[in-house]
Amino acid sequence: MDGWMGKVLVVDLATSEIRTEPLNLEIARQYIGGRGLGARLLWEMVGPEVDPLSPENVLIIAGGPMTGTGFQTSNRFSVTTKSPLTGTVLDANSGGFWGMRFKRSGYDALIIKNRAPQPVYLEIKPDGVALHDAAHLWGKTVSETSAALGQDKNKRNVLCIGPAGENLVLFAAIMNDVTRAAARGGPGAVMGSKNLKAIVVEGNERVDFADKERFRFVQYEATKMLKANPITSQAFPEFGTAVNMNILNAIGALPTRNFQQSHFDHAEDISGEAIAERILVDNPACWACPIACTRQTKIGDQEPNEGPEYETAWAFGAACEIHDLEAVTEANYICNDLGLDTISAGSTIACAMELAERGLLDTDLRFGRADLLLQTVTDIGYRRGIGDVLAVGSARLAANCGAPELSMSVKNLEMPAYDPRGLQGQGLLFATSNRGGCHMRGNMLGAEVLGLPKLIDRLQVQGKASYVILNQNSSAVLDSLVACKFANIAVADEYFARALSALTGISYPTGEMIRTGERIWNLERLYNLREGFTRADDTLPPRLLNEPATGNSAGEVSHLGPMLIEYYRGRGWDENGVPKPAKLQELGLSDLVAEMM
Amino acid sequence: MVDERVYEMFRDIGRDMYVHNLVSSHGGNISVRFGDRIIIKRRGAMLGRLKPHDLIETGLEKNDSGVALASTELIVHRAVYKATPALAVVHAHPRRAIALSLSRDEIVPIDNEGSYLLKKVPVVSVEFASGTKQMADAIADALRSYKCVFLRGHGSFATGQTLDEAFQWTDALEEACEIIMYAQALNEQMIEYRRMSDSYTNW
Repeated sequence: MDGWMGKVLVVDLATSEIRTEPLNLEIARQYIGGRGLGARLLWEMVGPEVDPLSPENVLIIAGGPMTGTGFQTSNRFSVTTKSPLTGTVLDANSGGFWGMRFKRSGYDALIIKNRAPQPVYLEIKPDGVALHDAAHLWGKTVSETSAALGQDKNKRNVLCIGPAGENLVLFAAIMNDVTRAAARGGPGAVMGSKNLKAIVVEGNERVDFADKERFRFVQYEATKMLKANPITSQAFPEFGTAVNMNILNAIGALPTRNFQQSHFDHAEDISGEAIAERILVDNPACWACPIACTRQTKIGDQEPNEGPEYETAWAFGAACEIHDLEAVTEANYICNDLGLDTISAGSTIACAMELAERGLLDTDLRFGRADLLLQTVTDIGYRRGIGDVLAVGSARLAANCGAPELSMSVKNLEMPAYDPRGLQGQGLLFATSNRGGCHMRGNMLGAEVLGLPKLIDRLQVQGKASYVILNQNSSAVLDSLVACKFANIAVADEYFARALSALTGISYPTGEMIRTGERIWNLERLYNLREGFTRADDTLPPRLLNEPATGNSAGEVSHLGPMLIEYYRGRGWDENGVPKPAKLQELGLSDLVAEMM
Repeated sequence: MVDERVYEMFRDIGRDMYVHNLVSSHGGNISVRFGDRIIIKRRGAMLGRLKPHDLIETGLEKNDSGVALASTELIVHRAVYKATPALAVVHAHPRRAIALSLSRDEIVPIDNEGSYLLKKVPVVSVEFASGTKQMADAIADALRSYKCVFLRGHGSFATGQTLDEAFQWTDALEEACEIIMYAQALNEQMIEYRRMSDSYTNW
């Protein structure tokens, strides 16, 4: 079975049963792997009656056919579950080395069912798979757990949760290789709810290729693209993703003070340039990645750690009106070690700051209070004091304080560092993302700011939906291969299609591969509709629709209404955002829907 | 009503195509896809002198009054959008490429830029090579695997997310063909400088 390993590992934590099932090749062909395979399995396994934190929810961890092949950035894996933060279908993916190792342990996917009676960890080795007692690990941080389980990036890779996952913080992350995170939407809380502390993998099985010579040629041509592109060859290695800070600020699209402003006077202090100049130690790379955007940094006499990347620097920085780079970076370190999503953590704190300034929340938190940042983040992870109040995310926090409009979230997921008032397409992307306010589901930064593949007018409304749809479909494919979005900055979809075809022996013309992404997107949409989500959930916080931006987007608001109409039409959905029968037929989803709806 | 920003995009690309000798006075056509709608050049309009009223909006699937005004090649543009994820299509009549298409089934650039951007451009041949379903299907099918394809003796069809991206492939093709012609005219032994260059023909 070229490309895929052909096996799915199923672990029932309630009974300790461990079994191997064959991968359904037809499903693999239609959904590829990673996010797509996860969505397809979740559709069957977790219905609307299941509480995300109940034993009936499942955790699906999957690589894709490209994972472990050596193709640029082919190190990633995807985690799929029903999100405890949003209630939507959720996938979060992560890089590092764990994903490659899991694939080389001989499996395409791992399905975790039910809840263990006591804390356990799972060990997957060439000589067998076993569950072990994890009582001695419960309560330990990510770095402590990883060390205790023998993390070695080149041989034995540890994926685990920290105290935040154990304490069911709704935006808890699953961490791997100590500092990499599958974080958005709270998969760490699901893992914690199952009393599963860690998954350790070893293995060196090789992936088979249908046409290795052809695959390597595509890879060689992709290398040219990555070397030639100044973002992947210069900007990201030198400055990390935070190179975006000054760029977004210059055009008035850097959300500041919980999106009250769209420019930050002190953006330079938390920019990629500042990180490189003041705290950067090294820029290590994930496995098989020539970009090396990781920021290994050092604060004072602390051990070097990772971060911040752009969204983190924004979340603890501009969103909270904090320009103390050391405080921002240390908040990132705490999130790494406790296992927290930095975007939701920072954005929830920003929301709390605004609530407090308006007298709606009893706390000393205020915009600019860097001195309270570290303790607050720590308290969230351990659910202590004000941290316990914030551990439910900004949407529940703001609603509990009587001001739901002050949560800068979509479908309860905190939006990242791009102001939709200055980036019209990005606003439509956030509003329609299947896992809530997220930029990694078809980021419009490329088209609207960086000129990838070509610059389009960021304030243009007409036609913007088509770009968003294409980017969303493409992102669904990349998350299913599984590849890094940053490779796609330089390497066009066409290259991935040719590599996938050479790898698997199955013909995936570019259009057909993107159509697969469309199938995945629509299945995720159907999942959310089955959960009760409606057109009313495809929206943005009122602030972005009504309150004008500042800076170089001054006066602009999001024109979501007309874009959403064009979006539904372009997707082949009805006016309520429901896929029409013809679209389901075209994508081969009709039978699935008829069976399960 | 077409947004002014969209008109400016059509006007600039159309003008550049004419200036670059990629079309004659009334030749070629360009379009973009917006959701389930297409905006395409008016039939008979001059690409080098597009006015706002030269942009015709019609359906991707369904006919409406727009089809009475749209480019003759609307049928091809529709087929391409239905078969591929393209958001823009540029059709040109690049002269050197037309000449080369008369004697080969694929155009494989030998210059660095052409190799880097295009790898190879397949040449498609149909009996009725203007505005027919046969032609539309052949072009759309070829564009499922290539971003730029050539209709023998007629012209290029290139796709992109934007008009300027599709224009780039078109212009790069014509440049590559000019270089092939220069190299052939020199009639000297070519020193291969590209690793794995034999693989381009299998792209």
